[in-house]
Amino acid sequence: MIHRIVLYKDVTVFDILVVVVILVIAFFTAKALSVYLRRSLKEKMAREHLDILVKVATYSIIVVAALWALTLLGLNLSGLLVAGGIAGIVIGFASQSIVGNLISGIFLIIERPIRIGNQVNVEGVFGFVEDIKIISTVIRTYDGLYVRIPNQKVFTSSITNFVGNVARRFEYVVGIRYSDDADKAIKIIKDLVEDHPFALKNPSPLIFVDNLGDNSVNIMVRIWAPSSDWYGVKTELLWKIKKSLELEGIEIAFPQRVVWFANELNKREVRENSLATTSYE
Amino acid sequence: MDEINEDTVNTEQDGSESFSRNGDLAGSFFGRYDIPLSIKREGISISMEKHADVLVYKRETPYETMERVLLADNAQILINPVEPLNTPKEITPFLHIEFEKVLVLEPKVSKVVCITFPIEIGVFISGSKDLESLDIFSLEKQKFTLYGDPSNGIICRSWGSDVHPVIPPLNPLHSGVLSLKIINTTGKWLQVSQAVFNAYGMKIYYNKDVVSMKASMRIMSNRTAETDFMDSPIIAEMENSLELYTVRKLVVTSTKYVMEAGI
Repeated sequence: MIHRIVLYKDVTVFDILVVVVILVIAFFTAKALSVYLRRSLKEKMAREHLDILVKVATYSIIVVAALWALTLLGLNLSGLLVAGGIAGIVIGFASQSIVGNLISGIFLIIERPIRIGNQVNVEGVFGFVEDIKIISTVIRTYDGLYVRIPNQKVFTSSITNFVGNVARRFEYVVGIRYSDDADKAIKIIKDLVEDHPFALKNPSPLIFVDNLGDNSVNIMVRIWAPSSDWYGVKTELLWKIKKSLELEGIEIAFPQRVVWFANELNKREVRENSLATTSYE
Repeated sequence: MDEINEDTVNTEQDGSESFSRNGDLAGSFFGRYDIPLSIKREGISISMEKHADVLVYKRETPYETMERVLLADNAQILINPVEPLNTPKEITPFLHIEFEKVLVLEPKVSKVVCITFPIEIGVFISGSKDLESLDIFSLEKQKFTLYGDPSNGIICRSWGSDVHPVIPPLNPLHSGVLSLKIINTTGKWLQVSQAVFNAYGMKIYYNKDVVSMKASMRIMSNRTAETDFMDSPIIAEMENSLELYTVRKLVVTSTKYVMEAGI
C-alpha cells in the first residue's frame, strides 16, 4: 500500500519510512559505537584522543547515513555538491565568525597547544581545559566557573599552558635578618628541599644569597617540580622553610629603619629631673 | 660468593647465570596470609582482623598509618614487592637509577653487574574471584628527578646505587637487586652513569632473603640506550611477584624505554 503512495517523483511513503529507519539506526549505531569506544578504550587512550576518535566515528556514521538517505529520496549528490558549494559561499559570508571558530577549532585540534585536562591561562582566564569543541573551548576556572571561549579567540590569543612541559620551576625570596647566619639558613633550606620527594633532584635546586636588601639578607630559592604537583610543593615547602628557620633562631626580617638624631636625646635627664621633683614633694 | 658470568654480544645468556647471596637477611615477610593476620617486622605492623561483619586492615610504618574497612567474608592477603613507583603518589612509570661510580665499557662487549632498586611493598586482597590492591608503602625515602629537558624529558623516580660485581647483602624490605646486562653495541669505549627503566615491564621475583629484577641495557651510541626487563629470577626457585599493572589489567604496549638524553 505505502509502496504506491507517491509523494513526489519516485519517492513513496515507504522510501520516507526507510530513510527514517536508516537515520534512526545510524543514530543508535553511532551512540552505541561511542559508548563501546569509550568503555573499551578508556584505560588505553588519553582522554583528548579518545574524545576526538569518538566524535569522528559518530559524525562519520551519521554523515554517511544522511548521504545514503538523501540518495533514497532521489536527490542527486553531484547536484548537491554544486548547490552545497554555492550555499557554502553564502553561508560563509553570512557566518564568518562561526566558520572562523570552526577553522580555529580544527587548527587547535591539529596544533594542540592545549589539551583536555591542562591548566591554562587563555586571555586572562585561568583554569582547567574541560573540552575542546569544534566551535569553542570550555574552561573550568579554579573557582569552579564554566567559561566558554570561542576557538577563534583561543587561537589568536596568547596561551599559557602551565603543564605543557613535564617540569616547571618556582622560586621564593626568603629575607633573613642581617644578624642571622645566612650559611646556616641556606643549609636548613637545602635539607628541606632535599627531603621533599617532588622537589626534583635534577634540575638541581638553587639556593643562594641573591642580594643584600634594605632590611634583610635575601636568599633566593629556586626549585623545579613536576608540573602536575608544583603548586602543592610550593605551598608546602614555604611554610616548612619558615618554621624550620624559626626553630633554629633565624627570623624572617621585618622592614625597619635606623634613625640617627643630630643631637643626643635628653630623655634620661628629664626622667631624673622628674624623679627629683617627686622626692621633693 | 659467586662471580657473575660475563658474556659477549654474540653469545646470549640463557637466563641460567648463577648468583649467590651474601649475609643473613630478614626472614620471610612476603607471601600469602590467611585472616586474621598480624605481622610485625622492622617497624612495620600489619594486621587484618574481623570485627562483626567487617574486616579491618591496619598498617603502621614509622612515618605513616593506614586503616581500611573491608566488607568481605572470606579473603586472603598477599604481600609482595611491587614496582617502586607508587609512593607517595603515582606520577610516573619511570625509574631512574644513577650509578655512584661511572662504568667504563669496552667496545662490543656485554657485562652483567648488580645494582640496587628501592622496594615498595604491595598488600593485595584476594577474594573468591579477583585480586585488588589494598595498600602500598615503602620504608625508603622517595625522590623524583627529570631525565632530559623540561619540554621533552620525563619525570622519573630517582634512586642512587652502587655497582656491585655480585649480589650485595641487602635488606629485602628496603632494597632489591637488579641484575643489569649492559651491552655496548658500539665500537667505542663508553661511560655509563645512569639507566632509566619503564615500570610496564618490571618482573619482580623474591624469596625470603632477596628481591630481584633482571634487565638489559643495550647501548646504541654514546647518548642512546634501550632498556628492557627480562622475565626470569636471578636465583633459582624465587617467587614471582604480582605486579600492579597485572592487577590493574593494563594493556602494556611496550616494556622498553629508549634513553635519548644521555647514558
